[in-house]
Amino acid sequence: MRSRLRVSGASVPIVAATIGLFVVSAVFEPDSVRHSAILGMLPLAAVLAILAMGQTLVIQQGGIDLSVPGMVSLTLVLVTHYPGGNSSRLAVAIVLAFVATIAAGLLSGFIVSYVRVTPIVATLGMNAVLYGFVLQISGGNPTSTTNALSNFAGGRVGGIPTAVIIAVVLAAITALIIKRTVVGRRFEAVGSSLLGARAAGVEARRYQLAAYACAGLLYCAGAILLGGILGTPNLFQGDSYLLPSVAAVVLGGTSLLGGRGSVIATAVAALFISQLDQFVLVLGASNGVQNLVDAGALGIGLAIYSVPWRRFRRRRDEGGARSATRSGQIGSEPSGSVSAGATVASGSQK
Amino acid sequence: MGKAQRTFAVALAGVVAVAVAACGTAGSSGGASSGGTNAAHVGSSHVAGAPSWCGRKKIVFGLADGFGDNNWRKITVGEARAEAAKCPSITKFVYTDGQGNTQEAISQIHSDVANGVNALVVFPDAGKAVLPAITQAYKAGVVTVPYRVFPGGKAGVNYDAYISTNFAQAGELWGNWLDKALHCKGNVINLGGPPANTQSLAEYQGLKKATAKCPGIHIIGQTPYYVTNWDPAQTQKVLTAVLAKYPKINAITTDFGAALASSASAFTQAGRKIPAVATEDSNQLSCMRQKDVKTDPQFQLFTVDSQNWMVRTAVDWAVAKATGGKLPASTVVPQKPFENSLTGKPHPVECDPSMPPDAILSSHLSHAAQLKALGQTGFKG
Repeated sequence: MRSRLRVSGASVPIVAATIGLFVVSAVFEPDSVRHSAILGMLPLAAVLAILAMGQTLVIQQGGIDLSVPGMVSLTLVLVTHYPGGNSSRLAVAIVLAFVATIAAGLLSGFIVSYVRVTPIVATLGMNAVLYGFVLQISGGNPTSTTNALSNFAGGRVGGIPTAVIIAVVLAAITALIIKRTVVGRRFEAVGSSLLGARAAGVEARRYQLAAYACAGLLYCAGAILLGGILGTPNLFQGDSYLLPSVAAVVLGGTSLLGGRGSVIATAVAALFISQLDQFVLVLGASNGVQNLVDAGALGIGLAIYSVPWRRFRRRRDEGGARSATRSGQIGSEPSGSVSAGATVASGSQK
Repeated sequence: MGKAQRTFAVALAGVVAVAVAACGTAGSSGGASSGGTNAAHVGSSHVAGAPSWCGRKKIVFGLADGFGDNNWRKITVGEARAEAAKCPSITKFVYTDGQGNTQEAISQIHSDVANGVNALVVFPDAGKAVLPAITQAYKAGVVTVPYRVFPGGKAGVNYDAYISTNFAQAGELWGNWLDKALHCKGNVINLGGPPANTQSLAEYQGLKKATAKCPGIHIIGQTPYYVTNWDPAQTQKVLTAVLAKYPKINAITTDFGAALASSASAFTQAGRKIPAVATEDSNQLSCMRQKDVKTDPQFQLFTVDSQNWMVRTAVDWAVAKATGGKLPASTVVPQKPFENSLTGKPHPVECDPSMPPDAILSSHLSHAAQLKALGQTGFKG
């Protein structure tokens, strides 16, 4: 329970930032939150959310997955080229895509967890291999998906885009498994402390392997929706999702060192990034400003979650207390600093 | 084997596998010898029955593509092969694909020279970055002809000739059509490719020049263009934002019509109709227009020719110079209008459902040859 509360706490900044962003958008650029604009933005935000959820699982295990572009592009090629416009072949294409991406994820996971190759090298290599398949299967030509997939992914249920419903369902299932099941709790434990988990008798490598495989599954799901939304995706469509997928994970508060994380927060962060892009675009800012705003948001996210503020504060307070003691002016220090220093001192004695 | 050795061995195997996979699609040599007999007439500068640019000296021809993996490039390579096949003096056709990697493109130009290519047409996607390699090929005695993307340098110093086109002319053609289609009044959105690319910038300059004749036409939103990276997803994001911001958009200009066609759902989501469009020709966009115009009469379409056949001028020039044939009269390939839904001239909107969406109907290839170039011989529309 404490763990759940802690994760919820970590999600607070991104949820607050997203609400704040929509308020700012409504005040300064109401066009960016019009019904039609939101409906246009949400399907692609849902795709990013699903892809970033996969990235979250890998990062929770202290890894990083640079094969997202290859996974997305391979899925897109399979669900467009294999059916060749024939909706009756779509189901087989989707099964093939899931098999291919899960197998690629398993292989990446195996290389990382059992062979101990750095995740960056292993997944970058996997990305190149996947692109090899993309070019081989497609012959270098993009093609259109079937009407069935376009109608499904681009459709709405009760006025809500289908892609959003699928993203919400996938986020709920993933969060439920991680937070409410024994397997999920062990998964987080392995990410938090590999040695600790091993000492507790948990076969850590299996969980690392599973992270890459499950990520492959989520990438595939997101890419299938993307194929339907775009109709004729290009062969390198996945390229534009690598950095946003990592950015969503960082903004969602998942530690880049592994362990702590929340797929729900990641999904909210994907919504934040998409709305931020839309807001800046509607404002009419140039492409350079858009990139700067995106980078700024990512920088702030990193600053909030990754910089060890407590340690800095502790050092500052310790330094302040020492200097005050040396100069004999402790009585003139703000009481807060002194008490903080005292707390740290007592903590360090333990 | 120790743990460290085992890790190293597996890592090495992985690197080799990746390299093999990457190389598997690169540098594919066509080896398409045109064969045929060299029935040269004594006293004639070119092979009898062949075009005047096909001289009598036997040569190996090379096409060094900086990037080869999209439908435009595939069809263009098909055009180059078809043109080269007209000249029996070409004993071998070597095609290399730089895969968008500058280093790869440079090393492939060097390898073409080392492999005895006599005439080399280069698509210098990386611009000035490949100029040193082009210059080396030229100085090594290979007839070197870059085309379409300016690599810097000068003809006669760094290469034999640069076959160019004027993208501002395409923008001007769009603008002239918009003046008539919009009756000199309306709002225009201009979509382009990656930031600062010379093609999109030149098209904007031409568009601005042509629409300046009509003060009632306003190019609204970001200028010179909205950055779409020629990516359907980014195009959709941009269109969603633009449709939210501007309640009145009378026309869209873009240099990648297929991405616009892939982003049509942005209009549906916004409950808006597609306005007039000026772009390059795309079977997908034309088919979409023919379908939608029944319910959306504002969706008029004007396209300029996609110029896949431009490579033929580069082939002619390089082969003529290397074989002793007659050089083409000009090194500049003009932009031409292709479809015009208002006048039907030079062509009405051409949708061919028997061809795949990524087919380019302005290509000079036959449908069968184009399907072959696209690797879709089994396509059944």
